[in-house]
Amino acid sequence: MTHTNASSPGCSRRRFLGLAAAAAASVPVISACGSGTGSDASGKLKFWDMPWGTAAYNDVSKKIITSYKPAAGLPSAGYQGIAWANFGQTFASAIASGTNPAVSTGGGFQAFQFAEQGAIAYADNLIETMKKDGFYDDFLPGTLDGMKTDKGYVAIPWELDAHVWWYNKALLEKAGAKVPTNWDELLTSGQALKKIGVYGFATAAGPGNSLAYETPMSMMIGNGGGLFDPDGNLDVLNARNIEAIEFIKQLVGEGIVDPASVGYTNDNAYAQWSKKRYGLGNEQGGLAENVGGDVAKDLLVMSPIAGPHGDKGTLVVQNNVMMYKNTPSQEGSEALLLHWLKNMHQFWDQALVNGLPVLKSIAESPAFQQRPNYVKMVKEYQPIGTSYATRGKTIGGAQSKMDGNSAMYQFGQAVLSSKTDAKAALTTLSNALASLLK
Amino acid sequence: MSPSPTTAEPSVTGTAPGRPPRKVSTPRKFAPRSSARVHNQQAKSKRRTLALLVLPSVVLLLLINAYPLVYAAFQSLHNGTLISTGDFVGLDSYKSVLSDPAFWEAVRFTAVFTVVAVLGSWLLGLALALVLRSDFPGRSVFKILLMLPWVVPVVVSATSWNQLLSTPQSLVPQISDMLGLGSPLFLADPTLAKITVIIFEVWLNFPFMMLMISASLASVDRSVYEAARMDGASSRQQFFRITLPLIARSTYISWILMTIFIVNDFPTVYLLTGGGPESSTTTLVVLAYRAVFQNFQVGPGVAIAFLMTFTLVVISTVLYRQVRKAHV
Repeated sequence: MTHTNASSPGCSRRRFLGLAAAAAASVPVISACGSGTGSDASGKLKFWDMPWGTAAYNDVSKKIITSYKPAAGLPSAGYQGIAWANFGQTFASAIASGTNPAVSTGGGFQAFQFAEQGAIAYADNLIETMKKDGFYDDFLPGTLDGMKTDKGYVAIPWELDAHVWWYNKALLEKAGAKVPTNWDELLTSGQALKKIGVYGFATAAGPGNSLAYETPMSMMIGNGGGLFDPDGNLDVLNARNIEAIEFIKQLVGEGIVDPASVGYTNDNAYAQWSKKRYGLGNEQGGLAENVGGDVAKDLLVMSPIAGPHGDKGTLVVQNNVMMYKNTPSQEGSEALLLHWLKNMHQFWDQALVNGLPVLKSIAESPAFQQRPNYVKMVKEYQPIGTSYATRGKTIGGAQSKMDGNSAMYQFGQAVLSSKTDAKAALTTLSNALASLLK
Repeated sequence: MSPSPTTAEPSVTGTAPGRPPRKVSTPRKFAPRSSARVHNQQAKSKRRTLALLVLPSVVLLLLINAYPLVYAAFQSLHNGTLISTGDFVGLDSYKSVLSDPAFWEAVRFTAVFTVVAVLGSWLLGLALALVLRSDFPGRSVFKILLMLPWVVPVVVSATSWNQLLSTPQSLVPQISDMLGLGSPLFLADPTLAKITVIIFEVWLNFPFMMLMISASLASVDRSVYEAARMDGASSRQQFFRITLPLIARSTYISWILMTIFIVNDFPTVYLLTGGGPESSTTTLVVLAYRAVFQNFQVGPGVAIAFLMTFTLVVISTVLYRQVRKAHV
């Protein structure tokens, strides 16, 4: 066995500390490396955009930004696509280092979160501009209100991510089941589908799948419940929520829910729809496009179903475009955002996005009218859609903390578990949210 | 016979008959001091050169490692977000983490996950390394194929495993069904999800163990085994008395490395189960990620990471002592 002498004769402790001090002194140099405004090296306004559809979406969005001709004295603009992976970290790091964009799309509640932290430029002035030129009136009723807080509009909505009821027409016919209009009929149709080996309440609660909690949330909202009372206080354990979760648990108990769905990613769930294993489900708007293939033509949106008390409602997340305080020109940010909004009809003209439009002009356009599922969503779901605030006044900051929180994912998985009852699952969620929002 | 001058009058050099003459010693009055001074100057110059050569690395290490570490410690003592520093809260984050049942649940699973995965991958690696020691046709191809789990990016592996396991129509549940074992919910049942994640981790890491052990076995002289056989040692005795002791050092080193890899392994668990169902496969690193990036609780998230680091240092130290003791 050989031994080596680990001590270095050439470097004393004092010498080492001297070297360390010299290195530590250079740290602030690194920390100071940041451009400091929402502009790139060429002084352009930076527009960051998420991949909201296929690559073609980003191509068109980039063309919109590059076609922006600034008024005299305002900076031009540059486009940057941002991946969904760790996007929260991407934006937060950029804001912290002063390298944030001037304008961006992003997570549904991101603007509320960053507004609370003082990084968002409120859009009230832009709203006034839109009112003056009439563009404001093009927004569907209620869409802009979702962005309003006590301090002003945190962003401008551009697309709605609605949870709607889907059914496979061919499978329902095969099972001899009717398209349900209320929960009782949903149960009956689910039982009929089960007889032909098809699940009647599709969901997916696997790794990072927000459907895990969005589906039960949509059911609670659809039953007149929600997470907050009319005063905006947390109210998770209300009777309507318990009733909704008990109903889902009944569906789980009767074998109407795929027991493996608790571990499903979105792709796993789409595969089940594609293999005709799912006949009914509360899903996001783009289901048919995401499933694709021969099955897509059989996937239809049905009218909202009524809860046992006759309530109808669904979860709708408003995707939005926000401006940041750290910008080379606030006037430039507003002009750029308005330019993008006025040209976003191209996304629907070319069927590049699966969300619902917020503009009447797009919803009424010939291109959009050729997509009957989407027309139905705008007509029947958009008016009854609400965010997590549901019955309460705006709770923007709270929503940003709740959306994507680990407690929400765990709640979704607990709902699908046979081990936890409805009250216990809701109590755990309530405690977690109370701790989060305190 | 008169004595020779040499024997009669020994020289000052003290040369004995039949021995080579000793070197004449230098006068000690002035020369040693001057030589020592030269030597010291040379040594100083050498140290300066070495320090200058090492300086860029030290600066780089401090920038890359020390700065984030110090800043993370700072964050763990504040109630900030990813954007703002927040207020100083002392050890509150550590207290809240240590009193959270979710933390202790994650500690338990991380411990089981790490111990089983390290030992599992070591046992499999050892078995395959022993197989690969013997000559057989296609050995090289076999060796390359065995390296694939370690070479393929974990994102690809996790996606493949998801496709093999997740739905009742996936290959493994189908085979299980055909064998009359039913259609297990590998990723949906909490117990099965734990087992699946551990098996996945073993599958990912056994090639590393196999390489380490193969390298160690290659340095063992085969004559040792021949001698043992001649002395009547059975295969079992050869394995326990020769093979294991001779690979002990590399075994402990591989355990240290693998423990660090697995405790810090985020993508494997997160991509396959996301820590679910119902937190059943949540490891400490996943819990820390959730705290920081899903719940925006930077202080508690970093506190979890520091507690993990402390535990890893203790475990590594204990194992490292074994390395020093190990006989080679």
